[in-house]
Amino acid sequence: MENLVYIALFAPFVSSLFAALFGMTERKVWIGIVASILLGISWISSVTLAYHIYITGEPIHVTMMDWINAGDIHIPFGFVVDQVSVTMMSVVTTVSTVVHIYAIGYMDHDKSFNRFFSYLSAFVFSMMILVMSDNFAGLFIGWEGVGVCSWLLIGFWYHKEDLPREQNPSISPSWAANEAFIVNRIADLGMLVGIFVIYWNTGTLQYDEVFAQLPNLSPHILTIAAIALFIGAMGKSAQFPLHTWLTDAMEGPTPVSALIHAATMVTAGVFLVIRANPLFAMTPDVSFFIASLGTFVAFYAASMALVERDLKRIIAYSTLSQLGYMFAAAGLGAYWIALFHLAAHAFFKALLFLGAGNVMHAMHDELDVFKMGELRKKMKGTWIYMTLASLALGGLPPLAGYWSKDAIIETAFNEHTYFLWFILVVTAGMTAFYSFRQIFLTFHGEDRHTALGFHPHEMYKFVLVAMSPLAVLAVITGWFMKDYEEFITELLPAYEMSEHTHHLTAYLGLIVLAFAISGIVLAYFKYARTGKNAFKQDANVEQGFIFKLLKNQYYVPAIYERFITEPYKVISGILWTSVDVKIVDATVDGIAKFLYTSGDKTRSMQTGNLSNYLNWMAVGGVILLVVAVISAMIA
Amino acid sequence: MDNILSVLVFFPAVAGLLGFVVDQKSIKAYGLTVATIEFLLSLWLWFSFDMGNSGMQFVELVPIIPDMGVSYYLGVDGISLFIVIMSTLMTLLGMASMGETKDIKNMIITLLFLEMTMVGVFVALDAIIFYLFWELSLVPMLYIIGAWGGNLRIYASIKFFLYTFTGSLIMLVGMLFVAYTYHNLTGVWSFAITDWYSIVLPVSYQMWLFAAFFIGFAIKVPMFPFHTWIPYAHGQAPTIGSVILAAVLLKMGTYGFVRFSLPMFPDASVMAITPIAIISIIMIIYTAMIAYAQKDMKQVIAYSSVSHMGIIMLGLFAMNAEGISGSVFQMLSHGIVSGALFMLVGMIYDRRHTKLLSEFGGLTAVMPKFAIIFGIMLMASVGLPLTIGFVGEFLVLLGFYNVSPFMTILAGTSIIVGAIYMLRVMKLAFFGPLNNEENKKLKDLNARETWSLIPLVMIVVWLGVYPKPVLTPIDNSVKSLLTFMDKKAITQEAKDMIRVSKSTKEAK
Repeated sequence: MENLVYIALFAPFVSSLFAALFGMTERKVWIGIVASILLGISWISSVTLAYHIYITGEPIHVTMMDWINAGDIHIPFGFVVDQVSVTMMSVVTTVSTVVHIYAIGYMDHDKSFNRFFSYLSAFVFSMMILVMSDNFAGLFIGWEGVGVCSWLLIGFWYHKEDLPREQNPSISPSWAANEAFIVNRIADLGMLVGIFVIYWNTGTLQYDEVFAQLPNLSPHILTIAAIALFIGAMGKSAQFPLHTWLTDAMEGPTPVSALIHAATMVTAGVFLVIRANPLFAMTPDVSFFIASLGTFVAFYAASMALVERDLKRIIAYSTLSQLGYMFAAAGLGAYWIALFHLAAHAFFKALLFLGAGNVMHAMHDELDVFKMGELRKKMKGTWIYMTLASLALGGLPPLAGYWSKDAIIETAFNEHTYFLWFILVVTAGMTAFYSFRQIFLTFHGEDRHTALGFHPHEMYKFVLVAMSPLAVLAVITGWFMKDYEEFITELLPAYEMSEHTHHLTAYLGLIVLAFAISGIVLAYFKYARTGKNAFKQDANVEQGFIFKLLKNQYYVPAIYERFITEPYKVISGILWTSVDVKIVDATVDGIAKFLYTSGDKTRSMQTGNLSNYLNWMAVGGVILLVVAVISAMIA
Repeated sequence: MDNILSVLVFFPAVAGLLGFVVDQKSIKAYGLTVATIEFLLSLWLWFSFDMGNSGMQFVELVPIIPDMGVSYYLGVDGISLFIVIMSTLMTLLGMASMGETKDIKNMIITLLFLEMTMVGVFVALDAIIFYLFWELSLVPMLYIIGAWGGNLRIYASIKFFLYTFTGSLIMLVGMLFVAYTYHNLTGVWSFAITDWYSIVLPVSYQMWLFAAFFIGFAIKVPMFPFHTWIPYAHGQAPTIGSVILAAVLLKMGTYGFVRFSLPMFPDASVMAITPIAIISIIMIIYTAMIAYAQKDMKQVIAYSSVSHMGIIMLGLFAMNAEGISGSVFQMLSHGIVSGALFMLVGMIYDRRHTKLLSEFGGLTAVMPKFAIIFGIMLMASVGLPLTIGFVGEFLVLLGFYNVSPFMTILAGTSIIVGAIYMLRVMKLAFFGPLNNEENKKLKDLNARETWSLIPLVMIVVWLGVYPKPVLTPIDNSVKSLLTFMDKKAITQEAKDMIRVSKSTKEAK
């Protein structure tokens, strides 16, 4: 079994190196195929490991070699495969294998095809390190690794130029990539501080040893560690106020958005909270804050999705919103439910994104849903997939999202946090609305694209076939919730609904369902009909304050630019030209000049004239005398 | 070979002298051969180094002026060993990467002399010998900047020389005073640093001496506000000058703190923690912001050097093995990475004869290899895990957290501000559309350039993934340094602050 651990981990690495060897040569389809096969191998290993863990219940722990040993700190490259990490491994490799195959078709015209596969596999490798590591420092390797891969992949089309925000809200791929990296770095500082706190209070970074020592630590220390780690989680999982990078990250190729910015990397923060659940369980205040922030983000992101016209951005907002749900669950102590939603979400969200990729491919990179309409006739397979994924996202039974999201909402009720419960229910309705708004605008209603000169065509067959596992998973995952609960609660704390909630389960489910269905129906009436009922843009609404607020993302990017980026630029300039050159350096030069000029001036004393010298001697004598007298008086 | 250190020190100089009779055409091959032999010798030093021994090894001691206690005294421990290897490596690679250079013969000979002084500084155990090499190192660099520099080369080289020279004179006074005190206490004269370690100085003496050494070292590091010579030196120096300056010469300052200030003045060092940490934090944030504002690519790297030296300084004063070992490791890491970055900037300068960021953009399209190596070095520079840059930075911040969480968080912004200025360079130079006509016909790295960078890339990855072979000897020496400091410290505050590793305590 140990070998399987290494195979699961290093197959993507081999794939990345292999593709990198051909990184600078022209497109070779077989590189994509080899990469996909290697990812498939990693997937098989992960699933086998999952089965093994399921049967035996025994985690596998391997230590490869030492990494950093200095002073008293010992950090190995150690990996642990237990119920939590094997879940993540299976999810990550499933989605990445599909995305790799998908990308063979999607990137077929891109001249940097080989490079793309190299980055994509490198990402999977980093993600595997992140989820498999047995210590916080190893987690941090993966953490930063996925950050870099995300940077490389968002900026994949590096040659595009910067556009003003009005034309492209993400400015340019390279801009968005830098934004993502820097914002994540801000959070990573929090993460590092968390690691430092843990190290200096427990003397180790190994998960098991750290968790075993937690009861000995003071609540104060625990709270600081929990807050610091959660700041790290906020960056990767794009929680408010570090969320802006995620929507801008949509500048990357769509397979990247599906894999990294929906299914896997952005869930790293949730994973961290789940992984460190013994810590967060001991800090109820921080946990409640996490739940509240998650709930807020769920609503906040959903509200922006209501008015967005960019297909990928709508899905990005929904990712943000669903991450909020996961944090809500994790914060309320239902760790396994958060993990379950994470897995279910990965499947249907990746499917949704890949479907969006098909649309984009067909529409020659046009993403404005207002320019689409009635695509279902031309892209039947994609239409079915995306509808399925949206149904799952909207939380309709018996699809995956229904089970997982419902459980989260129920948890909020069970914890007597009725306000959170209420927001989450309303958000569920909004989710259904914006998901179907997007489906109806894209695939139903009037044909708006032909007039604009688009002639969309369906994606390659093999791509559609490759997407099918995700479609199946988006449907059936929820059916195995009970089994999964048994499996995962061997490691994670079980979460029991109270008797009271139990009685109300059916009603609670119905309320959520009612909200979801009304969302869909509303979207249908507004956007799906044809003829005289067809959807038209309403200038009155679009001039409204709320619409503008949502459309401009609550002006958060503008505020960041105005109050952070711009001042940073200005202050940096001032520090350079005014402080460093005009004060610090000028002082140094001033001292040098003073010495030089005083030497130059006093040089005139050297006249060679004896009587001049005598005069100076007299002056010197007088000065010495004065000094002597004064010092004698003081003494 | 008993005299390996003497050979290491004087071989390049002797070979340099012989270089005068070598033909102009074959001088580069000659220089490379000498530098390679020197590098192999330093590797040999590493392989015959006893990893378990944390003290001085390969010691050579020949009295020169017995009456005054001046002797030819060399030795190497885990801390200096790798700095020596890095010096020989960077000299070799810097020389290998050199393109068309006028008066190449003079350049090669100057470099070989410079190599002597650099190795000499790091292996000297006698203060006078140390001081000699320390000052001698100024001369070849003065010549390199002054003869091969840009338009302001005379100003820059004189500024470099006078500034650092002034600092070292004050250090010399400090040295003389230590020797004088030693004489008063023991009745004999000695300039051997190991002898100096043995005397316990009163705290007031320590303070004054710490200050004297501080000025000498701080200007060299360079610490804020003594750093303003460096943008001129880098701005005017030819590529090879910048590579050696950033990679090795700056390390003399931080090395000086480890070799002199910490073991000789433990109490004063502990008292200096807060002021030095504040200066370090200013260095980290302030120069990173200035780096962000630069228009010239090379100046960004120059200021980033100062910012990274701030991390090194912070680690040295963490007073625990994590921090100091990390700091010494970071010296190597910064040497490799900033050296590589200066080489890269030099390569683009050779092609376009400009370093202004506004002249570039979209270079990845025409120079993919260049962009990849630059990207790797960028990631090492911002401290990405599994690159060399992470290990040191992580350990330094980890170590200093035990001293002051608040200041560590401020210093930790280095991972943010560092990313900001480096990514800006990447975006402006390598990303975006390739608009400038002049850039469209640029050629990617040639074999010479590629092969002088590949070893650095390999080191960046190797020491990022598996730093143990280097970190362990460093850590051993650092641990014994800390034990020594703890024993020697007079004040209780210092004893409380200096943190002897658990493993050392258990070993007793």
